[in-house]
Order: sequence, then structure tokens, then C-alpha cells
Amino acid sequence: MNSKYRVVSIIVRGALLACAWGAVAVSSPAGAAPAATAAAATTPATATAAAAAPAAATPATATPTSAAPPPAAATAAGTAPAAAPPADFETLDQEVQGLKKDVIDLNKDLFVLEEELLFPANTQVALYVSMDVGAFFALDSVTIKIDNKEVKNYLYTAREADALLKGGVQQIYLGNLKVGKHELVAFFTGKGPQERDYKRGATITFDKGVGAKYLELKITDRVAKHQPEFLIKDWE
Amino acid sequence: MHRALLAGCLILCAASAVPSIAAAPPTLLGKEAPDFVLKAMDGSNLRMSEFRGQVVLVNFWARWAGDSRQEMPALDRINTTYERAGLVVLGVSVDEDLVHAREFAGAMKVSYPIMFDTGSDIGREYLLQKMPMTILVDRAGVVRYTNVGFKRGDERAYLDHIRELLRE
Repeated sequence: MNSKYRVVSIIVRGALLACAWGAVAVSSPAGAAPAATAAAATTPATATAAAAAPAAATPATATPTSAAPPPAAATAAGTAPAAAPPADFETLDQEVQGLKKDVIDLNKDLFVLEEELLFPANTQVALYVSMDVGAFFALDSVTIKIDNKEVKNYLYTAREADALLKGGVQQIYLGNLKVGKHELVAFFTGKGPQERDYKRGATITFDKGVGAKYLELKITDRVAKHQPEFLIKDWE
Repeated sequence: MHRALLAGCLILCAASAVPSIAAAPPTLLGKEAPDFVLKAMDGSNLRMSEFRGQVVLVNFWARWAGDSRQEMPALDRINTTYERAGLVVLGVSVDEDLVHAREFAGAMKVSYPIMFDTGSDIGREYLLQKMPMTILVDRAGVVRYTNVGFKRGDERAYLDHIRELLRE
């Protein structure tokens, strides 16, 4: 019921936003003839934001939006240094910025909703990878099998491995599983002690209950044996 | 009667519009370059999205494509000249035979990283049709130029586009 309400609310907000965009688009040419140069000046800023927008996650989308006004303002100042932009145009610009913020908020809500719908809590399984110290192991890839079926094979770049060493935790897999017993096998490949090729596996049999399941694949150093250690921790 | 006529006209319009839509070949131009991670010749893993902020030239090649032999030395020259200006050249082998692809890549002695793709996902995402295929990606990660095949003189077009993208 709750998710239905949220879907409807998101659709309504999306429709309202579309109407608002339409209204802005219509009002901008008719806004006033003197604003034509200033309107032209905003175009590069909008184009820059649009070009940078596909740059992946929300923070990347947020950056061009917040960075958009200065170039526009600079160009506007360049074309008409003496005259200040008309008040109508300032309002329009604020309206556009407000709409951009709304789009980002809507996008965030959609992302959360999508996750809730695709991976409902009662079937959700999330796997995370973490690394501690890493003096005896340089991570190259992780392969994950659940119930003997390969669900993920991930190659790590030097940057990603470095981020894990610095304390980062990576969500490597998010999926759905039925309630009951399951077996997870993780294979870790990389360079072990003395730069030798190293491949080790770790296995866990876990019970999937009605709630979401979180498992952590941990790579640690066993100093006493000068060997890496691979563990799978079940977060209850 | 009028309604039936109108409906007929609409159906005709729709039917005539369908072939023109279907005829337009799919293109990556103006779209974000699909991300991928592959193992390079030196054993390291390289991820396309980690080169965001630099101009990237991706060259898909295959041992059996004769044009690849001509193109790779030309790309090597471009790489040595423009590497310091912020250009990244990546070679992606689509050969299924990894051993022979490695031998071929070693024999070409190029200075840019060569990666090996033995699956078909990347080829599908990059809409590969004919080998070799070269694409240019701008600093924002958007595909700006594609070239299928290679003939003498194509490297000049590459240079023009690279200079333009480096200036942006």
C-alpha cells in the first residue's frame, strides 16, 4: 500500500515537473525580447550540465547543476557588461534551478523505489567486500557462486583495490533469494606472498529468513602464518 | 464514416513511419560510452570509466582483420604524440583465441595498453559491426566520433577530432 502511494506520488510529481518545464520553455521566448541575449547566454551552461549529466551517480549529476550558473552569469556579463539582467529573467533562472533540484530529488526517490521493488526486503541478499591491511594479498578479482550458479565476477582495478585497502566497503552483489538454506562460494584471485599467483575460496551455508540478508566477504592478513585469510561474515 | 476514414489514415501514417524508424542504424554518437573492465596485457585491470576527464580513443581490433595491422602502428604514433596532452589510447582485442591475440599484440609492439575481451557483451554494447572499429570519447565520457574499418588517411580524421576534443 505504502509503495503504491509512493509510485502514485512520484508519477504525479513527474507530471507536474514536466508541466513546469513546458511552462518555462513556453515562457522563455515570450519572456521579453530584450532578454534574448541573456537567454542565449544560458544555453551553454545548460548544455554543459546536460552533457555532464550522464556521469553516473547522483553526486556527479549534482555537481554540474550547482556549477551551471557561474558560466551563464559570466557569459551574460560578457555580452552586456553595463546592464543588469532583467528581473523577469532572474526569476526564470531561479525557477529553472528549482526545477533542476526537483528532478534530482525525484531521481533519488525513483532509485530508492526501484531498489525496493526489484529487491524487496523479504528476498533481498546483499554481499559486500572489505579488505583489512592486505600486506599478503593484492586483490585482482572475486567470483561469487550462489547454489552453484555464478552470480558475479568482478575485476578490480588498482584504484578500486586501493580504495578497499583504505577502508572502503564495496557492495559487490544485490539479488533475490528464496527463504531457506543456501550455499555461497567466493573465489578470490590475486597476488599472494612473494608476488605469486594466488587463488582461494571461502564457503558459507546460510539460512535466508524473511528479512534481508547481508553477508560480508572479508580479506584479512594472518600475520602469524604470513598468509592472507578469506572469511565470510553473516550480518544477522 | 469520418471516424473510419480518420482511423484508416492514422494506420497508413503509422505504417509508413515504421520503415523509416527501422532503417535508422543504431549509433553510439552523443551517448555515454558503455563502461567495461578488462584485463590488460601487463596483467592489470583497466576500467573505461576511470579515464573520465581525459579524451579516450578506443580501438576494437581482431587478428583476422587485415586493417588492424595498418591501424595499430598509426594509433601508436598518435599515442606517443598526444599522450602528454591528455589522450588515452586503449586497444581492445575481440579475438576469441586469447593465446594468438596475445602473440599478435606482442608482435605489434604498441606503447598503449591492449586489453582482451573474449566475451560478447562489450561488442554488443558498442554496436560492433566490422573490425577494426575506433571510437573517440570526450572528457565527459560521451562518444563523439566513430570509424568503422580503416584506410589510409583515416588517421588524419582521428587527429582532427582528437585536437578538437583536447581543446574542449
